[in-house]
Amino acid sequence: MIVAVALVYFIIVAAIATWATRRTRSASDFFVAGAGVGLWTLAIAKMAATLSGFAFIGGPGLVYTIGIGAVFIILPGAVSNALGAWVLAKKMRLLGEARGLFTIPDAIGARYRSRLAQGLAASAVLVAVVGYIATNLLALGLVIDAIFGTGLATGILIGTAIILTYSVAGGILAGIYTDVFQGSVMALASAIVFYYAMRSGGGMGHISRTVMAADAAFMGPWGRIGPLAAMSFFFVFGVGSLGQPHVVHKFYMLRDPRQLKWYPLLMTVALAVTQLLYVGVGVAMKGLVAGGTLAPLARADQATPQFLLHYTPTLVAGLVFSGVAAAIMATVNSFMSVGAAALTHDLPIALGGRVRDELFWGRVSTFVLAVVSAGVALASGTLVAFLGIFGWGLFGSTIVPALAIGLNWDGATREGAIASIATGLAVTLVGETLGYFKLYGLPTGVTVSALALVSSLLVFFAVSWLTRRGAQPLDADIQLVMEA
Amino acid sequence: MKRLLLRLLVLSVLLVAMPYAAAFAGLAPEWTLYALAIGVNGVIVSLMALGAVRRDRLPRSLVWTFAGLFVLCAGAFVVALALPANEGVGGPLLLGLPLRTAIVLYGIGVVPIAILPFAYALTFESSTLSDDDLVRVREAYERVSAAKERDEREPAGEAA
Repeated sequence: MIVAVALVYFIIVAAIATWATRRTRSASDFFVAGAGVGLWTLAIAKMAATLSGFAFIGGPGLVYTIGIGAVFIILPGAVSNALGAWVLAKKMRLLGEARGLFTIPDAIGARYRSRLAQGLAASAVLVAVVGYIATNLLALGLVIDAIFGTGLATGILIGTAIILTYSVAGGILAGIYTDVFQGSVMALASAIVFYYAMRSGGGMGHISRTVMAADAAFMGPWGRIGPLAAMSFFFVFGVGSLGQPHVVHKFYMLRDPRQLKWYPLLMTVALAVTQLLYVGVGVAMKGLVAGGTLAPLARADQATPQFLLHYTPTLVAGLVFSGVAAAIMATVNSFMSVGAAALTHDLPIALGGRVRDELFWGRVSTFVLAVVSAGVALASGTLVAFLGIFGWGLFGSTIVPALAIGLNWDGATREGAIASIATGLAVTLVGETLGYFKLYGLPTGVTVSALALVSSLLVFFAVSWLTRRGAQPLDADIQLVMEA
Repeated sequence: MKRLLLRLLVLSVLLVAMPYAAAFAGLAPEWTLYALAIGVNGVIVSLMALGAVRRDRLPRSLVWTFAGLFVLCAGAFVVALALPANEGVGGPLLLGLPLRTAIVLYGIGVVPIAILPFAYALTFESSTLSDDDLVRVREAYERVSAAKERDEREPAGEAA
């Protein structure tokens, strides 16, 4: 039954992708869906791109391990969509309208009239994108192996081939419309599983009592990680949401900026429903283990598969496995688009040139990125997880100051932007590398991503203030966009 | 208004930096956690307000919304830090969760969902660009592009 549901799912994705591919005729279609996307499509596609397989597999496992502290990763979702709407949505959409911009580094380059800032931002995007894609391909390989019994390596290759087929042919246009289907599957699967999670433990109150009797810290407001680490999650995933290029660049795609009115409501509700599984399964599994109903899990990542196996009907399990594959594929497609744009559009501009046929080279770059990422996923084992971890933090620390604050503060300078991007890159790469190889450990509760974000913010303000006298005036259209 | 919000933003970032600086110095005074609780929410709310400012003004309804949001979110963190831990056997529950946990999760994760999207929608019309504004942005870009092309041509002409 699970195999049948998964097969039906992949057939539907293939059909949507084929339809979208026929509509992809230009670089604008390939990278920003021809700026012709409606509000519902935008909201669901953004939700699908925001949530990777982590929301369905790694997240519940993390809740099972560290308790309520893990919820601080998704908690900012209640405010981050309105935050993005106020800070970036209209300005990004207008930049796309006035200048025909494709990418986030594009916007940074235009804001500061700086090819160096655009190139640095594109470099940060590329580094993080390869890590993110590799991590997600590995997760997709695991899911395909679990459903079809292909083995991990074959699973990775099959998953890569499926995503490549529609990403290379249809670019973000195919991605957007498959995301709508995939996002709907994710939301439905999550809501159903949350119901079964609460039912399995006798309701939230009963689950809480059971866990509190066995492990009081688990159900405390900060879980087992303490207040410093928990609030650091909230900071990085709240403020950092303004710097996620695979999510933010979708603002370029909206057909009419006036449709943004109900965007925060749609996006927030869609995200909240889809994240129910993350909390529900993690806490319910802890309750079932604490109550002696289930044996402790050998690996935390088994929380969702074990729950599905024991407590949901087979059809629901099939739907959730499809939902996991959906989440991963939607995210990977968005990253491929962002990475390909950085390679074919931003880096050539930063180097003083321009690629002639961006649609053709966009397709070639998507293929190259997928092959490199699949190679990394196949070759590097646990290093892949390490690459994925710092993706969010790297995006946040390199893009939030220059883009989100820079588009709302005319006192931000080119030097401030360049210094903050360089700081975010350096702190994240050095900190994560030292930590991974156990050469240096940060104090308890301090995370590299939070440290990188706060450092790049401080550097941005300090350098902008120091260089304010020699700052060049803004282009007239950028000034109008910032005042809009 | 922007000036004030930028100052609040910088102050909030400094508050966020405090616990990290203290941790690196080998200190962990409890008050730095309160600074973090206030700072994190200060960064988010001041950024939101900065994005909502138009012509250096913020609608009064949004001033109250943002002030309320800050009090709610920072307050939930502060209360959770201040209340004694009581998550053991027989500890009080609120809507199925231990009291401190419920204050944080419902206060920060649920209540804003019922407020912020509607605040955005209700103030949207007053801050939406008209068609004229869109035309002005496009015209300004055309002027900028023309000036850049002229600048690029002129040195070449001089050299010739």
